[in-house]
Amino acid sequence: MNTGKKKKLNWTPYCYLIPCMLVFAIFLFYPFFKTIYLSLFLTDRMGQAKIFVGMQNYIDLLTSESFRQSLKVTLIFVVIVVIGGMLLGLIAAVLCNKAFPGIRAFSTAYALPMAIASTSAAMIFQIMLHPTVGIVNKLTGLDINWLNDPDTALICVAILTAWLNSGINFLYFSAGLGNIDETIYERASVDGASSVQQFFSLTLPGLSPIMFYTLVVNIIQAFQSFGQINILTQGGPDGATNVIVYSIYRDAFFNYRFGSAAAQSVILFIIIMLVTLVMFRLEKKGVSY
Amino acid sequence: MSEITLRNVCKEFDKGHFAVKDFNLDIQDKEFIIFVGPSGCGKSTTLRMIAGLEDISDGELWIDGELCNYYEPKDRGLSMVFQNYALYPNMTVYGNLAYALKIRKVPKKEIDERVHKVAKTLEIEHLLDRKPAALSGGQKQRVAIGSAIIRKPKAFLMDEPLSNLDAKLRAQMRVELAKLHEELETTIIYVTHDQTEAMTLGTRIVVMKDGVVQQVEAPIQLYNNPANLFVAGFIGSPSMNFFDAYVGEEEGKVVVYLGGSELGKKVYLRGEKAEVARQREMNKKVVLGIRPEDIYDYEEAKERGIHMDTQGLEETVSAREMLGAEVILYFDAQGKTNAVRLSPENQTQTGEKIDFYFDTDRIHIFDKETEENIYYREEIR
Repeated sequence: MNTGKKKKLNWTPYCYLIPCMLVFAIFLFYPFFKTIYLSLFLTDRMGQAKIFVGMQNYIDLLTSESFRQSLKVTLIFVVIVVIGGMLLGLIAAVLCNKAFPGIRAFSTAYALPMAIASTSAAMIFQIMLHPTVGIVNKLTGLDINWLNDPDTALICVAILTAWLNSGINFLYFSAGLGNIDETIYERASVDGASSVQQFFSLTLPGLSPIMFYTLVVNIIQAFQSFGQINILTQGGPDGATNVIVYSIYRDAFFNYRFGSAAAQSVILFIIIMLVTLVMFRLEKKGVSY
Repeated sequence: MSEITLRNVCKEFDKGHFAVKDFNLDIQDKEFIIFVGPSGCGKSTTLRMIAGLEDISDGELWIDGELCNYYEPKDRGLSMVFQNYALYPNMTVYGNLAYALKIRKVPKKEIDERVHKVAKTLEIEHLLDRKPAALSGGQKQRVAIGSAIIRKPKAFLMDEPLSNLDAKLRAQMRVELAKLHEELETTIIYVTHDQTEAMTLGTRIVVMKDGVVQQVEAPIQLYNNPANLFVAGFIGSPSMNFFDAYVGEEEGKVVVYLGGSELGKKVYLRGEKAEVARQREMNKKVVLGIRPEDIYDYEEAKERGIHMDTQGLEETVSAREMLGAEVILYFDAQGKTNAVRLSPENQTQTGEKIDFYFDTDRIHIFDKETEENIYYREEIR
């Protein structure tokens, strides 16, 4: 009977999407496309697009020595932050995976960095790393100007960021460890495996799904670190900590070159997207479940 | 050779709270020992103490003449099958089977040979490349057993290995386990709460209750010669019927009055049973126990010449179960449901009355206070 009935478009489901899409549109899609648009222009001090230059902003960037330096710094920074942050989180999670008195206090301590604002942590580090009154120099007996030495500044900032990220990693890994069946460890110990062998043959593979997710999030997070760099080094000394995000900030709000800053943002976006895509490709091989 | 001896082994969780108390057992080489008991009776805890997964609070554990209390699980030379199989989810079946060998640095070629041999024995060769998540319960079970036997351990510890399988598969695996025990000629310690598994598999059964060993005996002795009320009620299905009663004397004959009244239901004892009852329980309250298959209807009782031994046991059938080879009639007495196993020719239906006759040579009498079987005789091994 109903064969002749035309399919009518049902608008109701789309209406439910409107509030969410509205928020996305204002805070995500508009800035995203505006950034791409701006990256093709020279702008005035108010950030208004004035002269269309096409790909010139990108060409200038890719040929500039300072941008390449910034890329290199970012890469080193990301590697230290991701490896450091994940290792810290993993070790803490494995240590706290056993029941012992005071476990809650330890768990809280290890998860705490998650709750600390990066700026306030940076200010604490600033005092700790102070060349004359800082506790680090006092304890080690060294006399290093940690944050003003191009050799140490990047490492200090990266370690701080790694520590800040370790809190949430600890949480992820703890959840991941909780999902591993306890009896496989019992079987392994009867089978004759030492704790180290158990860690590498059972714990790590068991964590691999969450490990992958944590890795992706950590890399993206590391690329976007800003607050602590702004407080501790402002990109200095001599561009040693001038990661891309900071460089974008400087170009836009100090040099008022919004076009160039926008172009850097687009490049950063492309880098993060590529890295993420590559990792999702690799996931199929690396994650064992 | 593998002999395992437990001497006064205890497991104390909180101060004064014992999960296992004074566990004594000598396990001979190639024995199939079953720990059986209701949940929470400490049977799994005992097994885990032998494996080294739980600390032994007190007592001694000897394996092949070595005191093993403080040995790491890996140094005890045992292998274990867990209730939930505990397969390594990230490894294939091959990896699961090979793991224990790989850790012991067995040459690759030998590992490969042994994995294929075990896989062939257990008929899981076609599954070697699969991950555990892609296996059915029965297949997982085989892999778990495979990874235990591949190592040629001193003894196998099995913690309710069949309880996650469906009834049919369980029966099938039970038969295969028995075969495997014959083939491997290794000691097996097996925990279960299923008395069918206990009766069919074990060379000896350890019955436990509240952390205390009740009786250690071969299955048939355990069935015919239970040490106390608990063992008598736990082993056998349907379980033994119990009646409150007291022992008296009538014209020189020892009589057990069911329900405590001298009128009505009486069981006359004879021979040695009567003598022991006279000596130990005369004019005392007791519990009379009799298995469902030791109660007969009039025809069979007459055939066996036991129709004069009991009197006035007329009961109303409350339920009838026809099982083909036998029929089980249920009747209520003293607030409990009792079972009688008869030949299928008996046509008594639910609601009808029937006279029952006890085979008095097969009855058990338990002391009311100590709950001990007054006829229990310790087997001399």
